Amino acid sequence: MTVTAVRETEPALGRAPAPAAQGSPLTRGRRRLFWPFVAPALVLYTVFYILPTLATAWISLNKWAGAGPMEFAGLDNYRRLLLDPIFHDSFANTLTILFVVGGATFALSFLLTMILRDMAGRKAVRSIIFFPNIVSGIVLSILWGFLFQADGVVNQALRAFGVDDPPNWLGADNLFSIIMIGLVWVQTGFYTTILMAAVDRIPKDLYEVCDLEGANAWQRFRHVTLPLVWDVVGVCAVLWSISAIKIFEFIYAFAGAAGQLPPTKVWNTALYAYAEAFAGGVPKYGSAAATGMVMLALVGVLVVLLRRMFRRDPVQF
Amino acid sequence: MATTRRLPGPFTRPLRLPGPARLLGSPLAWLFALFSVAVAVWMLLTSLKSTRAIFAEPWSLPADPQWDNYARAWTASDFAGATLNTVVLVFGAAATTIALSAPAAYALSRILTRWNSGLTAFFALGLGIPSQVIVLPLYVMMNALYLVDSLTGMWILYVATSVPFTVFFLTGFFGSLPRELEEAAALDGASPNRTFWQIMLPLARSGIITVMILNVIQHWGETLFGLIFLQSEENATLSLALLGFLQRMQFNGADWGGLFAGVCMVVLPVLACYIWLGRRIIEGMTLGSVK
Repeated sequence: MTVTAVRETEPALGRAPAPAAQGSPLTRGRRRLFWPFVAPALVLYTVFYILPTLATAWISLNKWAGAGPMEFAGLDNYRRLLLDPIFHDSFANTLTILFVVGGATFALSFLLTMILRDMAGRKAVRSIIFFPNIVSGIVLSILWGFLFQADGVVNQALRAFGVDDPPNWLGADNLFSIIMIGLVWVQTGFYTTILMAAVDRIPKDLYEVCDLEGANAWQRFRHVTLPLVWDVVGVCAVLWSISAIKIFEFIYAFAGAAGQLPPTKVWNTALYAYAEAFAGGVPKYGSAAATGMVMLALVGVLVVLLRRMFRRDPVQF
Repeated sequence: MATTRRLPGPFTRPLRLPGPARLLGSPLAWLFALFSVAVAVWMLLTSLKSTRAIFAEPWSLPADPQWDNYARAWTASDFAGATLNTVVLVFGAAATTIALSAPAAYALSRILTRWNSGLTAFFALGLGIPSQVIVLPLYVMMNALYLVDSLTGMWILYVATSVPFTVFFLTGFFGSLPRELEEAAALDGASPNRTFWQIMLPLARSGIITVMILNVIQHWGETLFGLIFLQSEENATLSLALLGFLQRMQFNGADWGGLFAGVCMVVLPVLACYIWLGRRIIEGMTLGSVK
């Protein structure tokens, strides 16, 4: 999914009409358009998005193979998830992606933003590092996986530098780390771009004052840059949480063969949900739905926490 | 701080000594960017090599370019059919999405009723719901409607799932257009309906094109819905054709050259689009996050 900020939705309420205009024929004519304009999108969205979400909540409380009768099971599906070691791995991986990949991506994005702030060719660099972001996850995964093959490019390069015994990158122990590094590579451009846009809005004279005061780079960052882009960092954190939980294709295609899932050690909850419902055997819609609800809950909790964490009085500048 | 060596004044630029961080910084940034370029160039070169050459000399230029990698990928995995499917599906869905979302976004941002903020928030809710959460009931629903393994079904799903973002994006965009033009149109006797179609919609053209590009790019490489809702080969989209190719390689022996030709076919249109409309794409994707 493409993402944009989930922020307070205010654009609709820019200016209220003057009280005198409230009841004019024109206003009434405009009002009559409201529902015909909104309804088609609203109906489609509700039928294909909101109702399925509610249905998933209901399915998660049932034992169901997709066809035939549903059997109410209460919280059994959730209990099964709690006991399933594969789900534990998947959930742990989701959290690792969220925090480790997220942390690395944000650190790198901040670093790049600071470097790019007054560097020649900043636009070119930004455009290049943004690009992987819009390439299909399948393609990125195939490319990334191929680079790390046993006789692939990375190892050939390492051998040229005299490393004779490079690690088995795609072995069970390293695969997830390779996936995480790949995700950082793909994501960094997006957050760098957003942060750059925010940093560009900081007036230059604030930095000039810093120079006059003799502040070092870290102090400049800590006392000027960070506080002034804090809101944007908050928005980025929300965007990252939402998109991190959805990551699917990039891991899925790492199996090397379609129709076959990668080793369970690298699954995240998105893959787990898919596998429970669609990957051979008797479909377990109930536990797939429960996994979906866990993902949704995780998004919800993170968004609420992040909004609370990043809430503070806006700084005018 | 203790001493300021320079006094502020009209002719004194603040001292910018290139410290070690600055000296190291810009090569570092270039290195990071060049890595992506190298991967892309490597992908292109590899798509022109034989499988043996890919492993024997991964760093060299293709000695004799294997153009038939493309021919093989194009026919063997029916990329031709997949491309056609993807083009029709993706552009059709993007156009339909706009047709439904633009009026809704206009109404939400410009026609004030007591419903505006609630409904706008309701649409924004969709941005936070992962698609994995909704696929199960959707599958049951589409199955009941005989729309599984049908491009029409995918069309509907793509439109429905693009609506929240598109409405959200366009609500912001319409909100930023000058109000005076609407008032002028009304004074000239245009009906509200006509004002929308003939004044506001053309004015919002650039926002509409931007969000359309974003939808096209996003669906071009979409895989999850494709995997679940499309089964037969003649309905495959480009991502599925690529996965099919990958799968067949397990049985027919490795044809990495052909695979990378397939990868290029999926990436190059996006790359062309990006080179052509790059700034617009970046601005569109990041809009809304920075005031």
